Amino acid sequence: MSGLLRGNSPISKTYADCSGCSLCLLVCPVWRRTCDIELTPHGRSKALQNDVRPADMTISIQSCTLCGACEPVCPERINLTDMVLDLRRTLGPPPGFPTSAPESRAGLQPISSAPLLLRDRALAANPEVLNHTATLLGGVMMAGDDGSDIALALEAGAEISPQRLENFLTSLRRSAKLIVADGLLLRHLARWLPGAPLVSLGEALSGLPEVRNSLRATDLYVIEPRAYHADYQRLVKYYDGLRAARACAFNLDLQRIAIPPSAPNLMQRLGLAPQDNDGQACWILHGRRISRIVVERYEDRTAFENVSDIPVMYLADLTEAGAC
Amino acid sequence: MIPAEPNFHPIPGGLVPCPVGPDSLRGIKRQQTNPSRWDGPDWQQFVAAARERDINVRETTTACGVFATDAGGTAYGLPHGVVIAQSAGQISKLLKVAQEYRVPVTVRGGGLTTEGESVAFGGVLLDMTGMSQVLNVDPDGLTVRTQAGIFWHALAEELRRHDLDYLSAPLNLTSSVGGTLGVGGIDVNSPRLGCSADQAMALQVVTPTGEIVECSDTQNIELFQRVILGYGQFGVITEATLRIRRYTPLRMHYFYYGSLCTAVEDLQMLDRNDASDYSGILTIMDRAVNLLVAFDSVERETEFHKTWQSKLRGHGELAFGLRTLARYAVRPWKYAEAWYLLQRKRELFPEFRRSEYMRDSLMHDRTVVFSRAVWKFWGSRQMVIPDLATSSDKFVEAVERGNAVCRKYFAHYTLYCVGIKVRLEHRPHYEMSCIPPDAEGWAYGCEFEPVMDDGIYSRDTLQSFKNEIYDIGVDLGGSYYRFGGMMKGYIRRIFGDALVDRHLEMKRAADPAMILNRDVIF
Ligand code: SF4
Ligand code: SF4
Repeated sequence: MSGLLRGNSPISKTYADCSGCSLCLLVCPVWRRTCDIELTPHGRSKALQNDVRPADMTISIQSCTLCGACEPVCPERINLTDMVLDLRRTLGPPPGFPTSAPESRAGLQPISSAPLLLRDRALAANPEVLNHTATLLGGVMMAGDDGSDIALALEAGAEISPQRLENFLTSLRRSAKLIVADGLLLRHLARWLPGAPLVSLGEALSGLPEVRNSLRATDLYVIEPRAYHADYQRLVKYYDGLRAARACAFNLDLQRIAIPPSAPNLMQRLGLAPQDNDGQACWILHGRRISRIVVERYEDRTAFENVSDIPVMYLADLTEAGAC
Repeated sequence: MIPAEPNFHPIPGGLVPCPVGPDSLRGIKRQQTNPSRWDGPDWQQFVAAARERDINVRETTTACGVFATDAGGTAYGLPHGVVIAQSAGQISKLLKVAQEYRVPVTVRGGGLTTEGESVAFGGVLLDMTGMSQVLNVDPDGLTVRTQAGIFWHALAEELRRHDLDYLSAPLNLTSSVGGTLGVGGIDVNSPRLGCSADQAMALQVVTPTGEIVECSDTQNIELFQRVILGYGQFGVITEATLRIRRYTPLRMHYFYYGSLCTAVEDLQMLDRNDASDYSGILTIMDRAVNLLVAFDSVERETEFHKTWQSKLRGHGELAFGLRTLARYAVRPWKYAEAWYLLQRKRELFPEFRRSEYMRDSLMHDRTVVFSRAVWKFWGSRQMVIPDLATSSDKFVEAVERGNAVCRKYFAHYTLYCVGIKVRLEHRPHYEMSCIPPDAEGWAYGCEFEPVMDDGIYSRDTLQSFKNEIYDIGVDLGGSYYRFGGMMKGYIRRIFGDALVDRHLEMKRAADPAMILNRDVIF
């Protein structure tokens, strides 16, 4: 296993440090849906403290959506997302996980210093939206190798060959700016390429004046949780600034943690089990008086469209809707 | 056969006494430690009977291991099985079967006890957080009906969507509503409103024998009185109707003192005169004593500035910093302490002023701010928080004597003091609770919380520390918030045999097999 795939903090704390405070439960979408402490960081940490084997915690380990919400609230500063990823690697990918050779992507992209956009799966499946997004960002190149196979392997606990990883990173190293749509990949790139000019797609788009100025006070702005929680200390201030400037509502709870619009577990994310995620979107909308929903992540439109008639817009489409 | 300690009162089907010798703590009488594990022979029949009634009893090591300890991290015990609460009906069936097979049922909400009160030493662990739904919000009548396993934070999240807030809750996000109502719950607005339990208007309770009963000050009054502040002895709270209010951010002010006594006197002066909406004391040892004062409205804040602020003897942050500097400048042998104070201030203060919670100098979501700080700066895998509760006139002495004990045992610690308005109409609820019987107007509570950092302390050291604090309570005729579990040896000393025996009789009548939270009080 590549050393790159291990935890990023030199003094990272582990499950052994869990005090059982339950703060992670308050933000965990899996807890909200199930009220089952076994499926939470608290439950996993306590089970591990009591020598439970990962194999006996498979359901719990697979249930995590990797939204990262639990990490900024953990007072013991345990790398809870890494903990799940480590446990998934211990278990190996679930049966049915595609085992195509990821090396085939190597060399897809010329090494360049231009800003690069690394799309996620949803954008890859919607070329028109992707092109529009890239045009709006101005002067960015689309990454030929977007690392989506690596992101998927990370999520599933599959092996990533050091060669494949190195090829991918080499293709990014010279870029002036990396705009990353996949929040999990962004989290890892921050540690694989320390000091690299990384930004989430949501932050890049919402930083554009034409997009920013199109936000209305009656909008609900839906932050992509994985990127937000991975860089929480900085981004909580960034979005607080956006709130102050545009007065719109956010999918933030009282702890200023982003409520994920959907909560697919591993099997659901891999398409191996049906989705049943309406509860999260309903909870975000509950009791709010808004006229429009603006999502950072293209894929999140569906979660809201399934449960409400309120118009939903992808952030990059805001400029077309016009400022208010 | 291990001889029973003189103050050990066996109960039918009860546990053998603590096997640690009474002389194991030199000079200090051992009070109570982990009970022995219940190992009833009928567990498997019980599980079969429960499953026949559609109760899912989880027996895996994962399920049980999650609940091996509580927030205190000093009491360890494993249940035989875990039941996640789903409904009053399910709990009713569970308790009926448990009575039949004499299987102990330990109820757990947020698990924030420190003396093992929510740790199951065998039997069933009933995880109430499975019942976490808000059932009805009445914005006009300003009440909420909620399932009782809900964390106060989750309740606050729901209420805020209606621009509402709870009235009074512990400064801890992960306390559960039911658990709090069972023991009291103290907030910085308790000097005005009383404890969190005082905000309960009605409860749905499942009695130890499985009856589902609605109770309030007008319906099944006696059950209501016993369940509120009843330490889980007389029923499982499954739903609660609580008073709520419109949400307002806080206008916070801090005053700094070098003397505990002066700060406590000023706190009591403010409370007596209803000079603030929120008040409390939080300290760094006895060196930096912070009197926190806060307001819901600009009118109340203005009135405070006009009439009361000049009467306070505390200082602003800068003035206090200079005085502290001067003090340590002539005491070089205390530089380590000064360094600690400085470091602590540097880490702690910004946490209370994080920009995402402060807007236009108003603090939003105080519970979030305080709770995050509490866990970040005081939380660890081991926590002991002995406390003293007294009437107003005994409180300064209680705090000063408790402080001396803290100094003796720990390099660093924190005191948290707050007043609790004694609600005359709720006197019957207060019997055998943290509210001392001689409290008139206000009771005062002080928590003594060592900052353990990475230090390792034996259970006996921690127990000795708690005992020394609790002995002060006996001496002063006060009470405690945390008198259950490992501290239950103090119950007879503080409340007297007559009162405890009366409650024990009531418990025996209500819970014939003594199954519900059996190791907590009796
Ligand atoms: S990453 Fe998200 S889903 Fe996973 S445990 Fe943390 S909060 Fe829950
Ligand atoms: S927030 Fe961290 S310390 Fe607290 S229970 Fe969760 S994992 Fe444990």
